[in-house]
Amino acid sequence: MTVIEVTDLQRRYRSRSGVFKRTTRVVEAVRGIDFAVERGELFGLLGPNGAGKTTTIKMLITLLLPSGGAARVLGYDVVEDAREVRRRVGYVFGGDRGLYERLCALDNLRYFAELYAVAPREQAARIGELLELVGLKGHEHERVEGYSRGMRQRLHIARGLLHRPEVLFLDEPSIGIDPVGARELRATVAALVEGGTTVLLTTHYMFEADELCDRIAVIADGRIVAEGTPDELKAGSSAGQVVEVEVYGSAEFALDGLRALRGVTSVIVEVRDQAQVVVVRSGGVGDLTQHVLDALEGVNRGKVTARQPTLEDAYVELVAGA
Amino acid sequence: MTTSLRIFFRGGLTSYRALFTWLSPWILIPTFIVEPVFQVLFFAAVGRTAGVNDNSFYLIGNAVQYAAIPCLFAMSNTIGGERYSQTLSLLLVSPARRTPLFLGRALPVIVNGFACSVVALAVGALALGVTLAPVTWLPLALVVAVCSFACTGLGLVTAGLALRVRETAVLANIVFGVLLIFCGTNVPLSALPGWMAAVGGWLPMTHGIAAARELAGGSRLSDVTGLIAQELGVGLLYIVIGLGLLAFFESESRRRATLEIA
Repeated sequence: MTVIEVTDLQRRYRSRSGVFKRTTRVVEAVRGIDFAVERGELFGLLGPNGAGKTTTIKMLITLLLPSGGAARVLGYDVVEDAREVRRRVGYVFGGDRGLYERLCALDNLRYFAELYAVAPREQAARIGELLELVGLKGHEHERVEGYSRGMRQRLHIARGLLHRPEVLFLDEPSIGIDPVGARELRATVAALVEGGTTVLLTTHYMFEADELCDRIAVIADGRIVAEGTPDELKAGSSAGQVVEVEVYGSAEFALDGLRALRGVTSVIVEVRDQAQVVVVRSGGVGDLTQHVLDALEGVNRGKVTARQPTLEDAYVELVAGA
Repeated sequence: MTTSLRIFFRGGLTSYRALFTWLSPWILIPTFIVEPVFQVLFFAAVGRTAGVNDNSFYLIGNAVQYAAIPCLFAMSNTIGGERYSQTLSLLLVSPARRTPLFLGRALPVIVNGFACSVVALAVGALALGVTLAPVTWLPLALVVAVCSFACTGLGLVTAGLALRVRETAVLANIVFGVLLIFCGTNVPLSALPGWMAAVGGWLPMTHGIAAARELAGGSRLSDVTGLIAQELGVGLLYIVIGLGLLAFFESESRRRATLEIA
């Protein structure tokens, strides 16, 4: 059963500036996108900042009206049946804010339980269950203003789940969380999907999307540029092989030589911790490693890795080509 | 209790605790106890020096009018505070009915305004040596409660505007000044230019202050029911306008994305 159905969805923002000479600027944030999410699926929406991910989510949770096209969630139109949609979906966004700082976690959850009409008899048990799930049991009487970022994010998740939503929208939920917290969050999301909740997730962390998502749509400049399972997206990457070489000192003079190698599709330099890493992507199937090392002759080198393309490689290629 | 009633009572109190940042003793005592007494004493001193009116006139006017501080600022904060804590979008995507949601937020504010005025009346009366007959205290309390209700209605209007504009404290300050001038707080309506008195007739506090003065002067409650009814009517009018503005700007926020860019 299709739970989220998006057809030619569009959203324009109009902003005005200036006092005496008013100028109007129109930004096409979402330019006619189509996708569908099936029940129990974890669907990822990936894209760079400003690509239209959050705007899409805001239209699906009824916070924004589309400028064109249509979207239905659980069969309800997001414009005509906004209240029915709101009853059935949960929304969690990343970051520090979005909680009542002066209240304790328990009062935050009680308040949202009232807003979502959780039956009074069920409230205490449901809140207890969620505090247990997100690991905040024992901290429920503390004011949120004293919470760490990870604790706040976990409280956000609990809040979003209070009314047992059939569809959960997670907008960059792991942003700013430490690795252990992020791993726990991924486990929680995976458990929810296993329990039958449909999830639409946006994230900048490719390994997170690769680990969690059943299907992914890559959005860039308001358009969907690719859609498929993580494996399909990786297979669609033109990079047949990726060679990464840690280098110390300048390697700039060698980059043109690398780019001239047969089959090489891209050469970039990334900074990782103390080292720079030259990443060479090749569309060919033969072993590229020796040719890369030859081209880097005279450069102070560290670890050399040859690997298959990852989702991040596919993503970078898709977004760069959009 | 139905969902709407729970949102009205429990939700209203919770959001008041969550959003009204003045509930720290360091702000609450100076703002709600010390400042209103200062205002009463200041205008009483000015009026006495100018020989315009007696202490009772200024005590009643300023003590009752000071309820506008919590009524305007706390109500504005019910939306402004949501915006600051970035919970506004979460509130607006909830399926909760808006009328009990926002009216519930008004209830603790009315109590706050009432308490603030009563304390100012009691302390101000002691400080100025104004004797209010014990039999007038209960009717006076009723009038103060009606004034707080009416002024909270005006606060609901500023809360509605907070869905469109980011800064509401400035607006609340201006409205407080308008009430100070136009409602007969320190200058009798009869001494104001005609248009100002006419405007005052459509503002909260005006009829309530007049009723309170009559009660303090020895009138019975039955003598001022007309004024109380007018004050209630003005309050209801502003509540309807406030709820209308909230509904309108919520709808506009979906269409024009004004929650983000206001």
